[in-house]
Amino acid sequence: MSAAHSQNLNVLLQEIEGIHLTHHNPRRLRADIAAEALPALLALLRGRASYVHLSAISCVDWIEENQFELVYHLWSYETSVLISAHIRIPREPGIYLSVFDIYTPAAFFERDIHEMFGVYFEGSPDMSKFILTEWNGPPPMRKDFNSEKWVMETFSWQEYHPDWLKDLEEQGGGIVSTPESIRMDNK
Amino acid sequence: MSNTDLSNIEVNQKPVAKRSNPFANVFNELVSFCRSRSMFMLHYCTGCGAIELPPAMTSRFDMERLGIQPMVTPRQADILLITGYVSIKTLKRVILTYEQMGAPKYVIGICSCTVNGGMYWQSYATAKKLDEYIPVDLYIAGCMPRPEAVIEGLQQLMAKIKTDEANSWKKYYEHYDYYLGNQQHLFGNNWQTPTDIIGEAKTYQLEGPNTLGEHTKILESVQRPLEPLEMKL
Repeated sequence: MSAAHSQNLNVLLQEIEGIHLTHHNPRRLRADIAAEALPALLALLRGRASYVHLSAISCVDWIEENQFELVYHLWSYETSVLISAHIRIPREPGIYLSVFDIYTPAAFFERDIHEMFGVYFEGSPDMSKFILTEWNGPPPMRKDFNSEKWVMETFSWQEYHPDWLKDLEEQGGGIVSTPESIRMDNK
Repeated sequence: MSNTDLSNIEVNQKPVAKRSNPFANVFNELVSFCRSRSMFMLHYCTGCGAIELPPAMTSRFDMERLGIQPMVTPRQADILLITGYVSIKTLKRVILTYEQMGAPKYVIGICSCTVNGGMYWQSYATAKKLDEYIPVDLYIAGCMPRPEAVIEGLQQLMAKIKTDEANSWKKYYEHYDYYLGNQQHLFGNNWQTPTDIIGEAKTYQLEGPNTLGEHTKILESVQRPLEPLEMKL
């Protein structure tokens, strides 16, 4: 059943222009497509195939190529196949379309990505703060956000060097790399 | 962030009159003894250290033989146990919880994360030193400390209470400006809590020279009176 089904799916997917399919294994399919074609692909997979479950949207920051990669993970309960649809959008201005109309749970993932990466999703029902309600800085998961530097500027540090550790160090043991030695200011 | 180091500041203690009569302070000593032997503990389980508390509480290590019991609400609790990393979002709730507790109150920071961030030392979302935001009586370091260590720490706290050394809750009133300044540094200048700490300090006569300062002035300028919550069905 599975082989026949995947053949049908391949025929179906050829309707999308410029799609590039990679079969990692029979239950894993990677589809690289242009950003404009993604809503059509998702509508097709949900409407005409059995991919009713959008299990996650993940985001990758390719800072050297100045792009964000968005990965839509779609699951079919009938064939147990996971399709991941990969698109690339320019890092600036970092705006993309919401797929909330096709998959309702997308609102949750899009809000999360907006908070962590600063990608704005047009048409998403709620783009307000989600988990980082106390956060006013730049989106923290972007590669150009220097977490260690921010920590250095915001928090003070407390040494922890207990007596039992000193005893161990006298015998030649102890911690190989302390946080102090890896911290930014000692680099 | 203000650079005052509070770790070496001693809380002003009322001088105890030295008398030859061995029963002179017997009532105070009795109160301290009773206080140290009946403590209700509110465990604010922020992180993984919480997993060591059930064995410490239940039959194997049995905290209750020391007179320590878990309590459900902050208003009835004596000890605030913070077990693990404190994210900035959690820290707000920790401060609200701490301020609701009735004095005398004691704070124990369990795990390395409350000491200096532990394994989250480079995380943007985790507060590093807990005692910058609320006064801490005792740290139990470890990742995570075993129940033996937790019991040992609680016994040390009991010894401190017995000898009237666990006075960090007074420090919060006497140096409120310092703590409030660090809180404002993280939460912004609009930060305010429902508890009127300055008013409490005046009532308890614990107002020190550092209770009021530049940060409390900011608080006064932004403070809004409390409004009753809207009731909805």
